[in-house]
Amino acid sequence: MKFIRLIALSLALTCLSFAAHAQGKPAPKDALLYFVWPQNGTTIKGGFWCRFGLRNMGVTHAGDHFANSGHHHLLIDVNEPLNPNEPIAQDKSHLHFGAGQTEARIELPPGKHTLQLVLGDAEHYPFNPPVVSDKITINIK
Amino acid sequence: MAEIRDIKSGRTGEPPPQPMPRRLAAIVAGDISGYSRLMQIDEEGTHNRVKRIERDLIEPTIVEHHGKLVKTTGDGFIAIFDSPVEAVRCSIVIQQNLVGRNAALPKHHWIEYRIGINLGDVIIETDDVYGDGVNIATRLEGIADPGQVYISGGIYEQIKHKVVCGYESLGDRKVKNITDPVRVYRVLPDPAAFQRSRRRRENILIFLLSFTLLVIAGGVFWYMLWQPRGKSWDQASAPVSSPAEQPRPPALPAPVVKQAAPESQPAPTRAPAQQQPAPQSQLPPAAKQEAPLPRSASPATPAPPSTTRPASSVREPAMIPLRGGSFAMGGIEENTEKPVHQITIKPFAIGKFPVSVGEWNECAAAKGCAFVAAGKDDAPVTNVSWTDAKQYVAWLAEAARKPYRLPTEAEWEYAARGGTQTKYWWGDQFQSGMANCKNCTDIAATEQPIKVGTFKPNPFGLYDMGGGVDQWVEDCWHKNYQGAPTDGSAWVESQCTSHVIRSGSWRNDARYVRPSNRDSYDTDVRYPTHGFRVALSP
Repeated sequence: MKFIRLIALSLALTCLSFAAHAQGKPAPKDALLYFVWPQNGTTIKGGFWCRFGLRNMGVTHAGDHFANSGHHHLLIDVNEPLNPNEPIAQDKSHLHFGAGQTEARIELPPGKHTLQLVLGDAEHYPFNPPVVSDKITINIK
Repeated sequence: MAEIRDIKSGRTGEPPPQPMPRRLAAIVAGDISGYSRLMQIDEEGTHNRVKRIERDLIEPTIVEHHGKLVKTTGDGFIAIFDSPVEAVRCSIVIQQNLVGRNAALPKHHWIEYRIGINLGDVIIETDDVYGDGVNIATRLEGIADPGQVYISGGIYEQIKHKVVCGYESLGDRKVKNITDPVRVYRVLPDPAAFQRSRRRRENILIFLLSFTLLVIAGGVFWYMLWQPRGKSWDQASAPVSSPAEQPRPPALPAPVVKQAAPESQPAPTRAPAQQQPAPQSQLPPAAKQEAPLPRSASPATPAPPSTTRPASSVREPAMIPLRGGSFAMGGIEENTEKPVHQITIKPFAIGKFPVSVGEWNECAAAKGCAFVAAGKDDAPVTNVSWTDAKQYVAWLAEAARKPYRLPTEAEWEYAARGGTQTKYWWGDQFQSGMANCKNCTDIAATEQPIKVGTFKPNPFGLYDMGGGVDQWVEDCWHKNYQGAPTDGSAWVESQCTSHVIRSGSWRNDARYVRPSNRDSYDTDVRYPTHGFRVALSP
């Protein structure tokens, strides 16, 4: 009896968690993610501090399920479209700021690079609709 | 002689004449606006929320920014920082996090801090800090609006070109009990974040909050129900999995010899003992009572004193002992892997597979680990932070009474190379089917992470050293090997905020499978592809 109850419960919970994961958390329509620095088209010598700006939402630690808040991800030279049904990738071109950082020291090889911010929820999924910044292009001398 | 002089100097009765511990520091003073009002509305609830904010947000944020929390009062805190920049960043992070925390609550329940920061020469004692500088910080905090950070002119001069955000000058202000007026600036991290229009979203927010609470409550209930079953694994799996590593009936030859076999001759089938959850785990829960000792392990050994009993009940990961040696660590493909440097490794043992869900959940059942992992027992455990991984090895070391730990970064690469110096352990060209990486296999995304040991072992007999799950190591993250130790030890400093991950995961492409590849991630953050394996000092 207990066993069946356990199965039913775990099944229900699994469904619940899938439902929660199937799409990201809802984001306010007026949420705005943007680069405080650098701006589109900037030419920079060497490393720089990249600053993330966010309006109408709050920044929190990854894993914290507070409504209307998330954490930053910086996409460098990424061309693939964002998949809203998967956690934001973690590799050398998808930098994560799950400790709630709002800025980062970035060092890139000389040349043109694109930067884009994506806000992730507690489980690193994009919000729905996705909260993303404009994709900017910078030039490293 | 020195003591005699002390007495003569006439300071008897006072503590030894150490110089006063004075220091220049950035002092951060924060307090909750409307604390008495909140306490009036809901005394216990407010108290609990404030304590939680202090524990989950304020203390860790201060530590992350290299500050020190000097004291907390009922409704506030004082912290000191060596660096004004860090002090201001820390305050901004705290305020921004609070915006998120308050978002789900009606306005009269908001907990909003006012924060003042001043640079001053202060007297520091173990649990308090004194001086004009502190008073000014407190006064600044007193005039700040809720949710705001006010800084003094001294701080402003230090940070104006370093922390990019807005500063609004509020002019010279006369503050209570301080003779000279103080120049005050308001920090504007992102002014618009505070002017949120919220009414129409309130309902949905409340719904989400209750949903979250429901899930948490469900999880706790589930966890509590699962625990008895977790214990039955202990008992059931011990006879199957651990005879080789069992501490020792004294008559047996050194267990190392037994374990060494797979090193020289990697078994073609993959270690059945470890990865299959013993079928006996289906035993009725009535069997969960501890049996005194597994019968099969060592039939006639008289039970040694009670110390080994806990050890006999814990399932230890399969380990492969490695002889020490010397190798060239690093690569030329990425800046993070340079410079290539020679490392000498002492003998150690390393997990044959990444730690599995089944192994992890024994730790969770024993309350040594923070959460019960989902997934099949023989899949690698994922979504663990470095801190989680450390908890597991600490629990395992305690339960098995062996010095289990995380591998160092050098040990991991030594083990991953398996005695080779090529780009991959099997050669310089990538071959499909050798590792679990993105676009390298036919495994469906829903089956990932696939069970440990699905791919070929390297020459040391180790599975999944490259691809599969990312693996935490002991070392703090450093952006390259400039200044790295060469004796195979971990490169650490206290309180580092990010640690090294190795191996790459099933969601990374073939470049990440290279044994020299390295990456970093925040110490306390969980991510769905991150796991680990254990190491053992001889």
